[in-house]
Amino acid sequence: MNEQAAFLSDKINAIVSGAGSLLPELLLAGFFLLLVTLDLFKSKTIKQLLPWLALTALFATLIIQILGGYTSGDEIFLDLLLSDGLARFGGILFSAAGIFTILLSLQNKPLEHLEKGRGEYYGLILILVLGLNLMAKSVNLLMVFLAIETVSIASYILTTILKDNSRSVEAGIKYILYGSLSAGVMVYGMSFFYGFTGSLNYTSTGFGLALLQADGLLVAIAAILVFAGFFFKISAAPFHFWVPDVYRGAPMPVVALFSTGPKMAGVIVILRFVTPFADSLAFSDVQLFLGIAALATLVIGNLTALWQKTPRRLMAFSSISHAGFLLAALLAFGTNYTSGILFYLAVLLFMNFGIFLFLQISEDELGVEDLEQFSGLGKVYPYLGVMALLYLLSLTGLPPLAGFMGKLLIFTNIWEAYTLGSNPMLLALLVVGILLTGVALFYYIKIPYYLFLKRNLREENLVTSLSNKLLLALFALPLLVLFFKPDLLLNWIDQLLAL
Amino acid sequence: MDFILSGLIFSPLLAALVVLLLPTRLQQPIKVVALAGAMVQMVLAILLYFRFDGAAFANGQMGYQFVEKLNWIGFSLGSLGRLQIDYFVGVDGISIGLVLLTGIIGVIGVISSWTITKNIKGYFLLYLLLITSVMGCFLALDFFLFYLFFEFMLLPMYFLIGIWGGPKREYAAIKFFIYTLVGSLFILIVMIGLYTSVIDPMATAVQLNLLQNGVASPDAILQVQQMLQQNVISGSELVRTFSIPAMMEPANFIPGSLLHVLSGSILWDLPLRFIAFLLLFAGFAIKVPSVPVHTWLPDAHVEAPTPISVLLAAILLKVGGYGLIRIVYPIFPDAGAYFSVLVGGLGVLSIIYGALCALAMNDLKKLIAYSSVSHMGFVLLGLASLTVEGVNGAVYMMFSHGIISAMLFLVVGVIYDRAHDRMILNFRGLANRMPAYTTFVVIAFFASLGLPGFSGFISELMVLLGGFSAPDVTGMLPRWMTVVAVVGLLLSAAYYLWALQRMFFGKYWIFPELREKVMIFDLTKREYLMLVPLAILAVLFGIFPHLLLDKMGVSVTGFTELVLQNGQEQLNMVLSSITK
Repeated sequence: MNEQAAFLSDKINAIVSGAGSLLPELLLAGFFLLLVTLDLFKSKTIKQLLPWLALTALFATLIIQILGGYTSGDEIFLDLLLSDGLARFGGILFSAAGIFTILLSLQNKPLEHLEKGRGEYYGLILILVLGLNLMAKSVNLLMVFLAIETVSIASYILTTILKDNSRSVEAGIKYILYGSLSAGVMVYGMSFFYGFTGSLNYTSTGFGLALLQADGLLVAIAAILVFAGFFFKISAAPFHFWVPDVYRGAPMPVVALFSTGPKMAGVIVILRFVTPFADSLAFSDVQLFLGIAALATLVIGNLTALWQKTPRRLMAFSSISHAGFLLAALLAFGTNYTSGILFYLAVLLFMNFGIFLFLQISEDELGVEDLEQFSGLGKVYPYLGVMALLYLLSLTGLPPLAGFMGKLLIFTNIWEAYTLGSNPMLLALLVVGILLTGVALFYYIKIPYYLFLKRNLREENLVTSLSNKLLLALFALPLLVLFFKPDLLLNWIDQLLAL
Repeated sequence: MDFILSGLIFSPLLAALVVLLLPTRLQQPIKVVALAGAMVQMVLAILLYFRFDGAAFANGQMGYQFVEKLNWIGFSLGSLGRLQIDYFVGVDGISIGLVLLTGIIGVIGVISSWTITKNIKGYFLLYLLLITSVMGCFLALDFFLFYLFFEFMLLPMYFLIGIWGGPKREYAAIKFFIYTLVGSLFILIVMIGLYTSVIDPMATAVQLNLLQNGVASPDAILQVQQMLQQNVISGSELVRTFSIPAMMEPANFIPGSLLHVLSGSILWDLPLRFIAFLLLFAGFAIKVPSVPVHTWLPDAHVEAPTPISVLLAAILLKVGGYGLIRIVYPIFPDAGAYFSVLVGGLGVLSIIYGALCALAMNDLKKLIAYSSVSHMGFVLLGLASLTVEGVNGAVYMMFSHGIISAMLFLVVGVIYDRAHDRMILNFRGLANRMPAYTTFVVIAFFASLGLPGFSGFISELMVLLGGFSAPDVTGMLPRWMTVVAVVGLLLSAAYYLWALQRMFFGKYWIFPELREKVMIFDLTKREYLMLVPLAILAVLFGIFPHLLLDKMGVSVTGFTELVLQNGQEQLNMVLSSITK
């Protein structure tokens, strides 16, 4: 009895001592409860207050994570979580993504007119960010699963938040079906790993050593099964089928969040997960699979985007192609690729939110559903047009915008890795990746093409609100700054990672 | 430190900022500001030309003058050391002529744009950005900086053709964009390979504390290079660089990197260095443009408005040839020597094919566009010969073609402004109605076809001399290639004279359907203002070639020596390392 009590109190002590590092998560959870409770009141003023409360929570977590101080760098919570520099940088990006989502939602007409479920909507964004934080922090496969499911469940509901939109509902159903399938496959794969190593703590050295003892083919199969779940989150092929539908059906701020948040967290999870597989001899199968998946994602994303007629679907495939770049970047084993990838993620955050804000404005206020309806709008709204141009060029990866720097860093790492190991897969990724940039230009330029080169179909003159204009500039400015002084961010990332 | 080069690059950019702040309805002030920006650039370029010392020769290297070098971006690559990107600009004999040309054409282009009526603010904004980035290309000595300017030319050009162009402007604009972007992606691949392979010995010396009195002496640099080749510097001390002069020295390549001369790395049975050369060559050949990647040019020219055609032919195309001379050959002299027949062959092919196409055109503007392809072939031929005359001829050709093609496109613009048509067969005997105009057409055509007394003659002569002497002097080109190129001269005489005869001589006649909308009148003052200076320059540089040759001679000689000597040495090293 006494022994049990001592054991239990040890555990409780461990949990309590780790709670300090969970400050951002606890804050988010607390505010979520507050939002849901306040949503019960009928008062209009309280309803108006909800988004601002959510913003407060996210700003608080953002600042806490930028200042740091609470991180220990040790594994906490019974070795389930690790708050290191990687998780902290991830957390900063997620909080920023959450803030941007809410800022976009405040400008979004359908969401502003939402009668029921405003509290849920903003609360779920908090929960999603919470889940993302946990994804980035987990070092235990079971914890990864829980975190991913937290994010997924929040995502399903956010997709269908506009219940009277049939497209939204259809997208939600597809999303749930694909999501639960890939989650099941992922858990199945994780069980294999427990069998191989007797541990779920995949960042421990013992885990890697035990894997080397196991049958290579079985490990490869298990890894592929686990990747199913991760690929689903970062929208990589062959688990990308939900993407176009969800991007078509969900409210624009939610799409913007999906295109950044889960992708960033998924990349961080994969970043941790692939570390034991860096040995190219023992795990050539796993690396081959990753390489093929990266190539397939790049090719499918870029080539399918060419045929899209609506901006939302175009962005869906653009998002898939960016997942391909990130996967390719993860394969540059032997080089110091983490900071390059984190830089790319930060850039992705700004350019995606920028372009989705632009699309939201053009959809809500100008009624643009098809690419062709952009015709001539650039001349009527030069500010909007120029901003869209900036984001799209950054997405393509052209100088002088940060998207170019991100791609340059990734390609540099791949080249270095190729120099080290002469792996032909890396050369293929390098060449295909760079040449697909040319293809990417072809579809991204469609929007400026209609905006500026085509004649105006309609005569109207709406005024873009000042807050929208400011937001557009807010997203565009970092893209310029990070091209001309990328070292500002890179040095900071290095500092964080060195902690 | 002298900031004249930064002034050259940024004066139009400054004007662009002013234009951006001016309200759209102030059309006249916008034009004036644009003109002022271009004028400042031109004055600085002329000043630079006079201050540039053609005899300066620094340590057997091509001497760069007015160098500005500032740290721009630097970050750690972890175990791979540091990466350093510099704002590094300088001018030497190869770029001085092109800088002068860019300054002059920039102003001519603004004057020619005076009649633009559609969205003036946007037009001049893009125009100023375009001349900023072209000037930047000619002055950058850091590959990253060069690439930035190189890519940044695409976008203004895309919109300038796509918005202010002719009926098929959208197609032409996207074709231009895709072609040149694919070219620049080839360049990007090699750029990544290069900067991961090359260190900056000076900065590495600083990193290793090999300083004497706070500066890295030449000895220290030599010491760093020796240590590097013996592999005794740890990876984290290396400072990787985009500096083009650093890339030109094989001693700065990290042993074991794929582009090192002794790496022995092979891809598809070719040394990787050769593949890198071919990729770079392809990238710049699109810009030159060389047959068979020239097809974007006629479309772009035909659809672009006159001033943009002028800019495109006179200065944008030069970036291709300039890139070959500044970047491709000095960094990969081994492959340059190895592939000289390919480069020369493509040059000859462009000369003949371009001329034949020009002969077949009914559209005067297309004819001139193809004549550009033909003339740019001489640049490739002269370069491939690797003789002093040939390379001098190639550089001279770029300058001279810049002046003459600007004139040619302005001349086409004149008739298009009046008739909104430029089909050769729709006009006859224009000389009767437009004698002054015909005079300038004759000057431009004769200058372009290489009549002695015009600058075109000097450049073609030197290229051909270089080509003929190449088999004996450098052993580069088979003699028949130069013989075939001479045929190109005859063809160019044929298409120009034939066009002249059909359009300008004989009895005055224009196509009946055009008659109602045509207002035929002779040159206006504004048109004189553009054509007279260009004609004077074409003659001036035709009679006094030393005006430019004296400035560039030393650099060109240095270039050929470097490429030939290093080329042979490195070629042997590359070939021996792959057979090992």
